[in-house]
Amino acid sequence: MMQAVIGDPRLRAALFRFVDVRPACTNSAELVRHLHEYLAEADGSGTARRLSSLVGRRSLRLPTASVAALGVSAMSRRFIAGADATAARPELASLWQRRCCATVDLLGEATLTDAEGNVYAERCADTLRVLSEASSEWPARPLLEHDGLGPLPRANLSVKVSALTPHLRANAPRRITEGARERLLTLLRLARDLDAHLHVDMESLDSREGITELVLELLSLPEFERGPSAGIVLQAYLTDSEEELDRLLVWMRNNPRSSPFSIRLVKGAYWDHEVVAAIQNGWPAPVFTDRRSCDRHYEDLTRRLLDARAAGTPVRPAIASHNLRSLAHALAYSDHLGLPESALELQVLRGLGDDTATAIAAAGRRVRVYSPVGDLVAGMAYLVRRLLENTSNDSFLAAQTSGADLDVLLEKP
Amino acid sequence: MNTDATFHNEPLLEFRRESVRAQALRALAELRTKLPLRISEVRNAPDTRISDVGSGAGELISTNPADPAEVVAIAPEASATAAGDAVATAAAAFREWSARDGSERAAVLQRAAGLMRERRLELAALAVLEAGKPWPEADADVCEAIDFLEYYAAGALNLEQGRPLVQLPGERNTLRYFPRGVCAVIAPWNFPLAIPTGMIAAALGTGNTVVFKPAEQTPACGHAVVEALHAAGAPAAAVQLLCGRDEPAKALVAHPHVHTIAFTGSVAAGLSIVRAAAEPAPGQRHVKRVIAEMGGKNCIIVDADADLDDAVPAIVKSAFGFAGQKCSAAARVLVHRDIADELNARLAGAVETLRVGQAEDFASDLSAVIDEEALTRIRGYIDSAATTPRAVAAIPDGGGHYVTPTLFVDLPSDSAIVNEEVFGPVLSSERVADVEAALAIVEAGPYGLTGGLFSRSPRTIDLVSRRGIVGNLYVNREITGAMVGRQPFGGGRLSGTGPKAGGPDYLLHFVEARSVSENTVRHGLVV
Repeated sequence: MMQAVIGDPRLRAALFRFVDVRPACTNSAELVRHLHEYLAEADGSGTARRLSSLVGRRSLRLPTASVAALGVSAMSRRFIAGADATAARPELASLWQRRCCATVDLLGEATLTDAEGNVYAERCADTLRVLSEASSEWPARPLLEHDGLGPLPRANLSVKVSALTPHLRANAPRRITEGARERLLTLLRLARDLDAHLHVDMESLDSREGITELVLELLSLPEFERGPSAGIVLQAYLTDSEEELDRLLVWMRNNPRSSPFSIRLVKGAYWDHEVVAAIQNGWPAPVFTDRRSCDRHYEDLTRRLLDARAAGTPVRPAIASHNLRSLAHALAYSDHLGLPESALELQVLRGLGDDTATAIAAAGRRVRVYSPVGDLVAGMAYLVRRLLENTSNDSFLAAQTSGADLDVLLEKP
Repeated sequence: MNTDATFHNEPLLEFRRESVRAQALRALAELRTKLPLRISEVRNAPDTRISDVGSGAGELISTNPADPAEVVAIAPEASATAAGDAVATAAAAFREWSARDGSERAAVLQRAAGLMRERRLELAALAVLEAGKPWPEADADVCEAIDFLEYYAAGALNLEQGRPLVQLPGERNTLRYFPRGVCAVIAPWNFPLAIPTGMIAAALGTGNTVVFKPAEQTPACGHAVVEALHAAGAPAAAVQLLCGRDEPAKALVAHPHVHTIAFTGSVAAGLSIVRAAAEPAPGQRHVKRVIAEMGGKNCIIVDADADLDDAVPAIVKSAFGFAGQKCSAAARVLVHRDIADELNARLAGAVETLRVGQAEDFASDLSAVIDEEALTRIRGYIDSAATTPRAVAAIPDGGGHYVTPTLFVDLPSDSAIVNEEVFGPVLSSERVADVEAALAIVEAGPYGLTGGLFSRSPRTIDLVSRRGIVGNLYVNREITGAMVGRQPFGGGRLSGTGPKAGGPDYLLHFVEARSVSENTVRHGLVV
């Protein structure tokens, strides 16, 4: 099915639209109506036409709805670890058992009001407490609990500033920092007191300045000198991420915290959004528009991060990718620098990088699985983005699943 | 007929970058050192008829809506006599300007676009201070002005070629477009650069001459437009600025030598222009044409399958951007009853996050309304509402004309707020049984300007696209911010004559078609 979807953009569009609208459909008739309409619009796709005529048959409506709903639920279980932290406990424990650690991400609807910002902050706080308590029962896993710079917390939460505050204003980073300061402050204190790691995710470029300023400002406060363990994200697809890394490294050198700072290097998940916004506004694209330059840049940044670590900057590099070449490059370069194996962390997404995680763990290297938690409605935007990523023509994963030659997959970008 | 394929909108400034914001603030500080602008003194072209069309009737003083103590510009106020003089000058200039080659006129528009591009930060700063437009909207105003100049330059050139006709042996048939004469341009303050530039560029580019009266609140912006055109080579007599209030505007409309009236503003003013223009003045030998862009009471329909994460921010932006002072702004939300409670709750919370402040502060979502009169009018609507507001946002203390952004929910259907154009930061949300019921409400109203639909059903989108009576329907996005060449703007019913500014047909309103049929048979031979 995945192959059919990758090969047929119209069918792919129809199915994504269906996945997207699924939570808004309150009954099976609505579900079938939308599915039928999307498939009917995907004219030109033979598969879609056949499916459309099937869905249109009255006798098949109810079963179709159940199957479609079931399909979406099954898909969501692959990507989402549980409806909340408590529900996800067994999954996280089993992951730890298999020598993989996790970072939990709370899925949710957009935060449009202060009340919604409070709800998200409360969920984060609850999650920190649950993770802290749950992880205390886990067996010792030295590789996952120490690197050369010190202990690594077992409980690890990724937070989104855009969910902490409705004041996301691209032209006024001050609105973002003011809007999220109190809530992030509370979470940092809680993480410090629970000895948990708090990782601040990066989102679209619109919020980068505000998020970076806020995180660096708060972590510079004397009360956080000894903790919590914290980190931020660097997006390699942004053409100016080199300067952004410089800024982070300079800050680290000027603000020597006894708790090291973690930088998760990702390619970036808002590529379409950034490109479309730039085209519509007449701006140069802020991201690399060809895959190879992006992959090359990713490797450049990997080396710079590891170089900084080797030179004594207290930075914890986390290389988050599903591109085997990018991961292998990071491992090889780290070894080349003579860094201890524990110095480098690799990260993958639940549902997309499960096999990779198993392989990395088997090789005795540390891997962290980014594990979304939340209900289906809340998780829809995440799910659609992951599916798009997984089936885009440029996707490493799509190429891998379709059986592309390993030499090609591992080719130098 | 337009060369749309090659047209590109002027890129907006990327204010999300700190360096760009800093540049803008420097331009504003620089402009401040020159205030108040004395309109008769800031003109560039030596032959600009600015001070001399003023008859000494008085002065217009424009101020910063967020700080009325700050005087932005002082302009001479024109009288009816001055308006008459200006029309006579424009009529005399018509022969020469209309006889010029179309490419020459197009080049003037393109040069003016270039000049505005060079001064864009300064012009945006002027709109910030004189109209109280927050930066992104002020910048968009400048970009739209540039877009109109470029788009209509290309369109006018295209129009010069006429249209193909059926040809038979022995006759040669041609259809060409000719300018009509003097065009009176009467513009509003809410898009103080873009709207007058568009109307003037369309008239001038097609060979008409123009007398332009900007809104009394924004004479400096109006002057900047004329200044750019003069500097670009438009003869002083072909485009004249006439600052003033109602008196010169009425004189222009009534003048026997005015052929076309391009107006953007309120319904009441528009209808009175239509009435006045219908009555031929002594000595008038033509039917006046009125191109009117008027108000709206724009509705956004939210169906049960809408994505509220998208709908709420888009509704807030449409209703409260520039304090609701756009003819395209959202005034009513018609939401499916199944999701009405959830939508209203989230909408209320989102309204409470709005920050009202100085337009020049990048952190402000909206600023003060244009003047004291607007403030009183809008507050009157809010105070007279039958129910208490569901949500409001805080406004700053201090002297600006600040109106509290206000959301009403489920007001009685005969409420003034539900039925009249408020033209301020006031939104009402009403629940409906379904999309059909929402369409019936839209149809029952007198307007047809913009409208919005949030739905994820292709069939619903198709239904509303076909049944909707609005000139501009926006699906799953905000309903303001029409772009030249992409969303031709304007609606019918009492919202206007549906001219579709920034679209391929707009220029046709400024011209007359003439056809020539020549007998090519001589002595029985087709020659």
